[in-house]
Amino acid sequence: MHGWSGPDSLKRNYDGCAICNSSWGNVWEDVDGEHLFFCCDLCAAQYRGLIDRIKQETGWGRIDSIEIAGDRRGRTCTVAAGDSHARFLFAFNSDGRLLRFQRNDRPAAV
Amino acid sequence: MTKCPACLIGFARGDYPGLAQHLVDRAEESDSAHVRWLNQNLTRRKTDAESLVPALRTSFDLGGSPLTHWVKARFISKFYEDPPHPFVRALQHPSRATLLGYVMEHQHFLRQWVRSCAYIIARTDQPEVILYELDNLTTEYGGSGPDRPAHYELLLQMGESLGVDRATVLATPPLPATRRAIEQWNEMAMREHWVAVLTAMHSLELIASRTLVDDGASMHYFDPAILSSGEITPAARSFLREGYEADVGHSEQALGLASRFATALDVVEDVQSVFLRSIDLFDDYLIARLERAGQFEA
Repeated sequence: MHGWSGPDSLKRNYDGCAICNSSWGNVWEDVDGEHLFFCCDLCAAQYRGLIDRIKQETGWGRIDSIEIAGDRRGRTCTVAAGDSHARFLFAFNSDGRLLRFQRNDRPAAV
Repeated sequence: MTKCPACLIGFARGDYPGLAQHLVDRAEESDSAHVRWLNQNLTRRKTDAESLVPALRTSFDLGGSPLTHWVKARFISKFYEDPPHPFVRALQHPSRATLLGYVMEHQHFLRQWVRSCAYIIARTDQPEVILYELDNLTTEYGGSGPDRPAHYELLLQMGESLGVDRATVLATPPLPATRRAIEQWNEMAMREHWVAVLTAMHSLELIASRTLVDDGASMHYFDPAILSSGEITPAARSFLREGYEADVGHSEQALGLASRFATALDVVEDVQSVFLRSIDLFDDYLIARLERAGQFEA
């Protein structure tokens, strides 16, 4: 049902809801060309807003992979497109809109 | 009666299998309130109702202690365990924007506070509860003359000290999350048992209780050092100091009454679920303060 899909699909670290990894609920939505599972409409709205904001911030036309960590108090996502990478901190309000979003790239490994 | 902590629908006393099936059914419909409660309180992994029952029983088990202990433990877990609530973290050394977010949304909270406490007075037959609520309302809203302004007045003075006059504050409608929380607290006050409302509202005063660290909270509501430094305005210090000093007594006294009457009137399960619903609303409301603060950031 979830997880890594075909070779051209978005790579994700979660096998449940695309935002919170919960396996409750039963919402399926197409976001940025991907058919994704969400536990509720709120998480679907959060994910759509997050992807739009990442693309706006990076200028990328497509995201190849997204790795999310954290919980409702605050999350991070590491995203990649080709050879480009970026990392963001984000949190949502109770309407599912971004309350906080800031770039937070890790220092390059030495 | 057992109640669903996400929607307050009722079940027979101790009917955790019925409550578990309800939670599973509503989650299957992707209802965000029920999915949220399951995710945050029991498990993120979908399971059948039968498997949820032991976790539900454990979640509501008082463990032989007074209700007050259970309420405090759940409150601390939600707002003061790693990481503490984002508003609490922002309030440690608050910016002007954070304090103005507090002012703009809290004026609406305090007006609902009066209504909720009035419902308790109207529905209880216990004189000591009435006296407690009258004292609380005087401190929070009415005041005791020019030398002892109410918390509501101190809030407005804090806004003025930060450059926003009270006419502007009073004319600003609440953000959607604040409005939703207020509507649900109002409905709760009208419909639920007065002991449950007493617990649901006055437990929220634990947020500012300076003794909560003795019960396991990882930090205070704000760094007490800001009460004696110059980093916030004198009016902001007065507002925060009032809560810091009053809310210990307010919450402890109310929870003592709640614990006693919940047992005497046999409504402990009602009280637990209504309290759990109330702290979820409070969580969203505190986020609304931060959202409002964002409008004042440069």
